[in-house]
Amino acid sequence: MAYKNLLKISQRRAFRRLVANNRMRLYRMAFAWTSDPQLADDLVQQTLLKALSKQKQLRDFGAAEGWLFRIMANCLTDYRRAKREFLSGDNLELVDKETPENCAKEEQLVQKVRLAVQRLPISHRQVVTLVDLEEFSYASVAQILDIPVGTVMSRLCRGRRALREELLEARLHEPVTPAVNIKRIK
Amino acid sequence: MNKDHNVSEEQLNAFVDGELEPEETNTVFDEAEHSAELDQRLCKQRKLKELVKHAYREVPEPRRPSSVHRLPKSMFGLALVASVLLVLGAISGLLLHGYFEHGSINGGYAAAVNPNPAAATENYIIHVSSGDPERIGIALKKAQALLSSAEPGARRKVEVVANEQGLNLLRSDVTRFKDEISYLANERVVFYACSKTIQRLQEKGVEVKLVPEAIQGFTALDRVVLRMHEGWQYIKI
Repeated sequence: MAYKNLLKISQRRAFRRLVANNRMRLYRMAFAWTSDPQLADDLVQQTLLKALSKQKQLRDFGAAEGWLFRIMANCLTDYRRAKREFLSGDNLELVDKETPENCAKEEQLVQKVRLAVQRLPISHRQVVTLVDLEEFSYASVAQILDIPVGTVMSRLCRGRRALREELLEARLHEPVTPAVNIKRIK
Repeated sequence: MNKDHNVSEEQLNAFVDGELEPEETNTVFDEAEHSAELDQRLCKQRKLKELVKHAYREVPEPRRPSSVHRLPKSMFGLALVASVLLVLGAISGLLLHGYFEHGSINGGYAAAVNPNPAAATENYIIHVSSGDPERIGIALKKAQALLSSAEPGARRKVEVVANEQGLNLLRSDVTRFKDEISYLANERVVFYACSKTIQRLQEKGVEVKLVPEAIQGFTALDRVVLRMHEGWQYIKI
């Protein structure tokens, strides 16, 4: 009994560490997937609460990070199924459009890359960001998204090709076109 | 796919992502040595990877939830409601004692809510995210069962945190469980309403009114993580 209790306590501690260590990483990924800070925050909360309620299913703590990202990918899929109005390439708006530094080159570059990432289909966007932002291996991405490694490679290829064409083969420092209409002033 | 060289686009990606075997990596290096075009493609691919990383190095933080309108606002109203609640609490306490003792609602769940006596001194946080009255009923019975199973003299703490649809439990104009909440609050069960769920409802134009026992200011996740950090047991209903 004492051993069991000790094990339970150490598992709980490990899980708390897991949540604390990964919250920001999950948020960054959720933001890259949704471009919406509120939605990203909701997604992370949902993910971690789900993870807390399912922690007994986690056998190998070494695989815990991938497991968390997998839960988040499933949460996003559920969300998209439930909400038809999820961001599509047609109604994109730039995040932080009120930023006064919109003219600053650094900000322009960041916004331009985020916009290009957001224009990718969600399936490509997920693969590109999991590989580039979190440095997950192709095998891990395949597990997180529950797809074959070959599909990871082909989605990565298509996603990066689209990004390359938009960001490197077009003019990168061209001003970002605002998503909101500006009224003409006489 | 670009087939100007023996190196395919997939291989190029695998190269920049460190997914190639050492021999394959050598081959790509060799090819790039003899082809300025391949070398340029490699550079572009690496640059692209760095650009994506750079774009998300710092991301905007979500807005923090604002305060919630709770009724009534005036001190007079507050005092009035407090007195009424005190009387109601005492009456419902007497009535509900029998209700929880005999398990008049969902008696079939008795086994599910029976806590482990071995863990009698542990504190618990119960998380309710479902708006299903049956599940909410289970959560409340669980809270009661945990309190009653504490060893004599032990001050076990129990909290109920409600988010998503589960917030219905604590919305004064929606909940069917006002009496049960009042009874359990008297028994020292603390109820938390998720500030994120409240914020989301407010953004949709819903006026959120909470029962007076509900405490807000935390997200469900923050509350759960805080309590787990303090060694509490987490129970999801």
